[in-house]
Amino acid sequence: MIEWAEPKNFKDWSQRVLSLRPILMTLLVCGVIVLEMRFDWVERALGAYLVSTNAARPESGTIWEKGRRTRTAQKTLEKILTDRQASEREARSAETFSQIAANLSADQGAMVSADRFRQLYLQMPPTVSREVISPFDLLAIVGSGSWRRTYFEKTGSGLTAYLLDGENRVLRRIDIPSGALRQLNRKDSVAATILENLPNFKKRIYPAERFFEALASFPEDIRRNMILHPATLLKSHGQIVRVGISDEAVAGFIEMGFESVDGAQHNVTLVQGHEWAVWRLRSHLEGKGSASQPIKDYREDRTPR
Amino acid sequence: MTPVTAIIRRLTGFFYLALLVAGLAAVSTMGIFFMVVSDLPRVPHPLNRIIETPPTEIYAATGERIMLLGGREAVPLSRISPLYIQAVIATEDHRFWEHHGLDKLRTLKALWITLFETGKIQGASTITQQLAKNLFFSYRRTYARKLRELLVALQIEARYSKQNILEAYLNQIPFGIGAHGIEQAARFFLGKPALELNLAEAALLAGLPKSPTRYNPYRYFERARKRQKIVLARMAAVGFITPREAQDAFQAQLNLQPRQADSRPGSYFLDVVLNILEERYGPEVVFHGGLKVMTTLDPQLQALAVDSIQSGLTRLDQILGISERNDNGSINSGVHPQGALVAIQTNSGAVSALVGGRDYSETEYNRAVQNERLPGSGFKPFLYYAAFEKLGLSPASVATDKMITIPVAGAPDWTPRNFNRKYEGQMILKRALMKSVNSVAAQLVERSGPAVVVETARRCGIESPLKQVYSVALGTSGVSPLEMASAFATFATGGIRHVPFLIRRVEDSLGRILEEQIVAGQRALDAAITYQVVDMMRSVIDEGTGAVVRRLGFSLPAAGKTGTTDDYRDAWFTGFTPNLGAAVWVGYDRGTGMRDKNGNGITGGRGAAPIWADFMIKATAGEPPREFSIPDDIRLEKVNPLSGTVAGARTKQSIQVALRTTEDGSNSPVYSTQAAGHSNIVEEDLSPAR
Repeated sequence: MIEWAEPKNFKDWSQRVLSLRPILMTLLVCGVIVLEMRFDWVERALGAYLVSTNAARPESGTIWEKGRRTRTAQKTLEKILTDRQASEREARSAETFSQIAANLSADQGAMVSADRFRQLYLQMPPTVSREVISPFDLLAIVGSGSWRRTYFEKTGSGLTAYLLDGENRVLRRIDIPSGALRQLNRKDSVAATILENLPNFKKRIYPAERFFEALASFPEDIRRNMILHPATLLKSHGQIVRVGISDEAVAGFIEMGFESVDGAQHNVTLVQGHEWAVWRLRSHLEGKGSASQPIKDYREDRTPR
Repeated sequence: MTPVTAIIRRLTGFFYLALLVAGLAAVSTMGIFFMVVSDLPRVPHPLNRIIETPPTEIYAATGERIMLLGGREAVPLSRISPLYIQAVIATEDHRFWEHHGLDKLRTLKALWITLFETGKIQGASTITQQLAKNLFFSYRRTYARKLRELLVALQIEARYSKQNILEAYLNQIPFGIGAHGIEQAARFFLGKPALELNLAEAALLAGLPKSPTRYNPYRYFERARKRQKIVLARMAAVGFITPREAQDAFQAQLNLQPRQADSRPGSYFLDVVLNILEERYGPEVVFHGGLKVMTTLDPQLQALAVDSIQSGLTRLDQILGISERNDNGSINSGVHPQGALVAIQTNSGAVSALVGGRDYSETEYNRAVQNERLPGSGFKPFLYYAAFEKLGLSPASVATDKMITIPVAGAPDWTPRNFNRKYEGQMILKRALMKSVNSVAAQLVERSGPAVVVETARRCGIESPLKQVYSVALGTSGVSPLEMASAFATFATGGIRHVPFLIRRVEDSLGRILEEQIVAGQRALDAAITYQVVDMMRSVIDEGTGAVVRRLGFSLPAAGKTGTTDDYRDAWFTGFTPNLGAAVWVGYDRGTGMRDKNGNGITGGRGAAPIWADFMIKATAGEPPREFSIPDDIRLEKVNPLSGTVAGARTKQSIQVALRTTEDGSNSPVYSTQAAGHSNIVEEDLSPAR
């Protein structure tokens, strides 16, 4: 170890200061400073170190925050779009308006082409489609050449369709009530039961003979509206013994039950008729009207429900 | 001890002390370094990722983009004018190409100035440090932040090329007024791409980022020019240009884009659009989701609306004798009246123009939608419609303009006065609306009850709270100009109500549709009665309280109604042609009355109707006249203006009225029963209206 002694005078001190070791030290320090000023090695070294630790550091700061917000925004948008596209896909693949209504949520509409609406319209039984919009009215809209798309939205338990032009102006608003939608789902059906077991028919059950007698008293064009699908009845087995008329009219239609007996088996076949026609038939059966009664009278005659 | 020994001892002491301090400083620096490094933000790779956020773009109905939110318009260095790059380097960091993130000489100089020159603070941030600050840190000035900023700058320098750094910097640099990045700024301020900037323009733009608000060339052009001069001088000093070139550039003409800046055309409009979007999608989606929003804004109509409001209010300033302005030329809201204008396409409800004040840069308060000011007589069309529909009256029905007092249960009697305090006696209802006679309106509302007036206004689209009081018929419940324009549009379309809208379609950044506006009109009013009211409102413009519209030269078929409230606090005019409707309001924000130098009040006909006329003349220029369609069950008949009887050959000043075919044209009278038939109604606000 070097023994240290305080310099006794200025000469001694200056000799020590100007000795080789301090000079080398000073040169070294100056060299380091000059090199730093010239080559920025401290900045480079620190920069390189920071690059090496970059992956381990947090994603913090304005730009990362912005990135997170962007990702959240994109997720939100993706969800909105997915819901919308799902609604539209289902609307495009639906086979009936009732399927569209079933798949739509209250706050989500669906846009389909004008052609798609026409396809769905044509798939409806004419008896129901006429209630939704007259084919002649639809023809007029098609003929105008401005109908481009159709927007569906759920309104309560029904469905509303807006026929739109190229600028999204509504050419025609069509309300399809829930009753009409149910009608689309309904098929004439046969049940192994008797009319008394079906509450809607309890009050108006007539012997088949009397029913068909009354039916025969009407002209052919009215009878077609009384029993819309007579083929269903022709297919049923056994003999028709009684006919019930429902109390309830749905979207302009009334159901009738035809009870047949096949051996010991009782079946009821459900068939629909137009409300106005069935009311005339019912009036006739109850002796309140005749086959020649004007058609418009049926509304005044019906029992309140 | 000799003096020399004492000096030596002291010097030696200082040396070791300095050594100790240096050692401690080195150790602390190391400690601080490792502490700071641990939570330094990670630098994204590639650096260009900073500009990947898709911008939300807002388009006008014409397809032109009117706003860009969030996002950046990034361009490579090769698409930026070299002059601009030189200007930025000369001004911000002239040793940019040499240093490695820290300009030590400049830092030492800045440190010296900051420490030893009292009151001066010198900045020395390099471009890389500024980039680090903009990317990761807040604008709070602390030493810790400066250190962190420096370290990130060193890392950026170590990882990326100078070109990468410069490109990132130039593409995110804020220029104020929502413009980020040089491409946006060049297009915004100068209407050209960044590549085409000349020396003068490059210097102007390079000067802005130092303080975008302070050097905003639209508001402080001279300041911006001084800053431009400094930039040019720096460029010359650094050797990028010669002093002569700097001088020439300074003298060159600067063609700024027509005043957009902080009063972008449609800023009030865009504010409403943004509010709607934020309500529907949330701020994150709006500002970071990259939406494409197609609005109903017609830029031409919007520019006309801004111009009409500004020139109309300047004219009103003169009428009111107001000349004072703030030092920077801005107006003082306490002294200067404000105004609003909303224009709407009557057959769809699309809002084409919306101005919420005289200058967006001075006040962002949107009077077109946020203001609920009393409409005064502007509300009478709803009353007359209700009276025709509920009471079976017609424009030819006779009323007596007389002083009237209506008893109100639980409140003082209501005695509405005519605006001019005069009473003309017998007249038909068409004339009463044309002249905006309050006493007749009071008799009508007394007979019909206020509920039907409120109901009619609701059917037309007024959504603001309406008090069920008699005076509601004279416009004593506040409404907004947007509501008035929209509600009157229901009259223009023969009773078909269209919900007003400002957004036609919203898409995501890939063009997938998020929502579309469906333009559906619903019948709200009876077509024939609506026509009767429209015909009466035509007479307001042709020869009534709004006749100034015709005097100013607007000649197309149009209908409208003036409105003025108590003490001239609000002046309105709402009117429409069959295609275009507009509502204009003027008044003071604080609700003080408007009177000219002679003490005469500013009515709707005097304050708002000229603005409406000015706007409509320009907005409908070149349009052929189009009449309001007359329903089949309407017949036009000339009647005596006093008795309502069919006019004969000798009838003076007969008036043509629209009568429903079910009406016999007789003069069924409006009479005040004075009965307390509405005892449950409490009158609250009984201000006279015109």
